[in-house]
Amino acid sequence: MGLLELSCLDEVRRMDKRQLYYQFLNFAMIVSSALMIWKGLMVVTGSESPIVVVLSGSMEPAFHRGDLLFLTHDRSEPITVGEIVVFKVEGRDIPIVHRVIKLHGNEKGAHFLTKGDNNLVDDRGLYAPGQMWLTEKDVVGRARGFLPYVGMVTILMNDYPKLKYIVLATLGIFVLIHREN
Amino acid sequence: MSRPDGRKLAFDECPSDSKPVKVEKWDLNAVKNALDDACKKALNEGYGCVEDHSLMDGRLAICTVAVAFSAFALVWDLLHPFPASRFVLFICSASYFVLMGVLTLYTSIREKSCCYVGRRKDPTGLDPDDVWLLSSNIRKFEPTYHLSVEYRPGGQSEGRHATLSKSVSEYFDETGTLDGDKLWSDLQRLAVSLQDGKKKQ
Repeated sequence: MGLLELSCLDEVRRMDKRQLYYQFLNFAMIVSSALMIWKGLMVVTGSESPIVVVLSGSMEPAFHRGDLLFLTHDRSEPITVGEIVVFKVEGRDIPIVHRVIKLHGNEKGAHFLTKGDNNLVDDRGLYAPGQMWLTEKDVVGRARGFLPYVGMVTILMNDYPKLKYIVLATLGIFVLIHREN
Repeated sequence: MSRPDGRKLAFDECPSDSKPVKVEKWDLNAVKNALDDACKKALNEGYGCVEDHSLMDGRLAICTVAVAFSAFALVWDLLHPFPASRFVLFICSASYFVLMGVLTLYTSIREKSCCYVGRRKDPTGLDPDDVWLLSSNIRKFEPTYHLSVEYRPGGQSEGRHATLSKSVSEYFDETGTLDGDKLWSDLQRLAVSLQDGKKKQ
């Protein structure tokens, strides 16, 4: 019971039902705003993951680990050689950012091969077993712009998940307890 | 204390706090909220007003609808992965931001700085309810609490105003404990002046 007697909870104890509900709504609105911005970006760019973080140095010197990439996915525009695409291999969650080096066919069913600028070999080793080419359905988007270093925060949070939970929990509790005007 | 016409001013029956209100004295929001709550309590419990929650309810309703749109978008996207959910996401996203705009307009235009609306039944039962409105604000980096009381006697749309501007140090001691009695006596003085002023017309 000692924790519940903390003086910072006095403010919460004095609140009536409506004010308490408003505190929860405040928290929900912050989460909703982030969610709606993300979903809105998905709709506008056409990509299911409009912002990604570069996780490895395989595209140096163009992109470095920790860069933030902005993607669009215009399905009407055909993929061409030399474009930097972000794709997901079937069965794996992590998106990969590499360049298209070979293209088979020019219709909707085009197959293409990718390779990281800084890698010695092409990506066939990364594809699913038995897969030699990528198709349009594997593509998450095409890189259109980037911000350096900003993605390091995400990498840090993923490397130390406890840090992520502590930061999110602290922010969440602060929003719930602190009464704004 | 009662007046010649028999209407008893119930302000003397100040509601005694079960626990003294103590806030972080340097936190502007906490101080303002404590003062506002004490005034509301004085009018509700000490003066027999019934609080009208419709302004707050309006705000809660707008926020709830906005969060509902967002929750719907989340669930729909889970059930029908992008790009199948594109249209629904577009509608929900756009609605959410429109509602945020509506909320901003609502708080800045309709609510303004009004923190309390209370109705008090006419003791004779003949006239419609009296309406009491409280608005307050404290400017950033200034210690002055500005309280504005508006009194609209039975059914009138135009009311009489009175304001109180005092430093918060008059109501809080060094530890941050609120002196409820002092605030209530100041509020009572304002309320009486408004009611008496009305009678002089």
